[in-house]
Amino acid sequence: MLNGVTFTAEKGQITCLIGINGAGKTTIMKAIMGLTPLKSGSIQIDGQPLSKGIYEKVAFVPDHLTMPLGMRLSEGIQFMQDFYASWNCERSSELMSFFKLNPKERIGNLSKGTAAKYSLLMGLSQDTDYVLMDEPFSGIDMFSRESIAEVFSSQLVEGRGVLLTTHEINDMEHLFDKAVLLQDGIVHKSFDCEEMRISEGKSVIDVMREVYQS
Amino acid sequence: MKESGIWTEVTFNSRDPLYLQVIRHFKEQIAIGQLQAGQVIPSRRELGAQMKINPNTAQRAYKEMEEQLLIITEGNLPSRITNDVRVLRHIRSELLNDAVDSFFSSVHKIDVSLAELIELVTSKYGLVRTEDTKIDGGGEQL
Repeated sequence: MLNGVTFTAEKGQITCLIGINGAGKTTIMKAIMGLTPLKSGSIQIDGQPLSKGIYEKVAFVPDHLTMPLGMRLSEGIQFMQDFYASWNCERSSELMSFFKLNPKERIGNLSKGTAAKYSLLMGLSQDTDYVLMDEPFSGIDMFSRESIAEVFSSQLVEGRGVLLTTHEINDMEHLFDKAVLLQDGIVHKSFDCEEMRISEGKSVIDVMREVYQS
Repeated sequence: MKESGIWTEVTFNSRDPLYLQVIRHFKEQIAIGQLQAGQVIPSRRELGAQMKINPNTAQRAYKEMEEQLLIITEGNLPSRITNDVRVLRHIRSELLNDAVDSFFSSVHKIDVSLAELIELVTSKYGLVRTEDTKIDGGGEQL
């Protein structure tokens, strides 16, 4: 149950939503995408209230692929190209080769790591200002994670606003600009990660220990 | 081949500001001769990708290094390490001073005379230099 969550995720920044399972991270993501109704409060994108046009501004990368298992990777891309006006073919090609994905492979046969890369490709190939990612790193082998992390630091993400959730804070906190800690339905703490290191010598994990273990 | 390793094989700790760790890494590479005066360095974006850090962190590090006159960016040209010998010499002494400060903070609580410390350092220095020579010369001996 969320009970008054307020935070801002900015363009050109990578914001990480943190919270234990059930804290409401996925609910927030879904609310932003208009998939779950809000009982009260508002969501604004670039100062405008949420509307049907959200899909042009925000791409959503769910934690598991929702496309048919028998579909080939190339067919999935073709589908997206036909469905989304904002689909960028150059980007999807670039990511296909960067991640060394086989276009003939079927979605159902992908390993977890490869599925995560393909999911990311789906989200990033849409020319949106914002990208939401639900657990892009979770349950994925180290090498796939490194590969994905490299994309985060590249111009494919630069200038866009990324809001993500993950449990892999330990290895990934070097990527985040901002961390938002949820607990008991509210935002317990929201801070700039580098500022926290500069002013208090604390890592994101240190702050998490303080908030969640007290 | 060896060059790419100097950006991708860096480990960062999560408590010290990342941008300062990046700058420190640059200074260390300069002090050990892996980065030369005037050498072209990756763009902010490339560096971020290779080090797997947030691109804003790379940006911050570059800005700070430019202010410290450690790197020079002229117009749209790629950034380079400075050619200024005074700056480069200062890095060397800065790192040496930091290392000695570190050494002293480790030993100052132990009851030891300066003479004993000097003797210890002198003997270690000899050993370390021999090891370095062995590693450098090994390839040729084969």
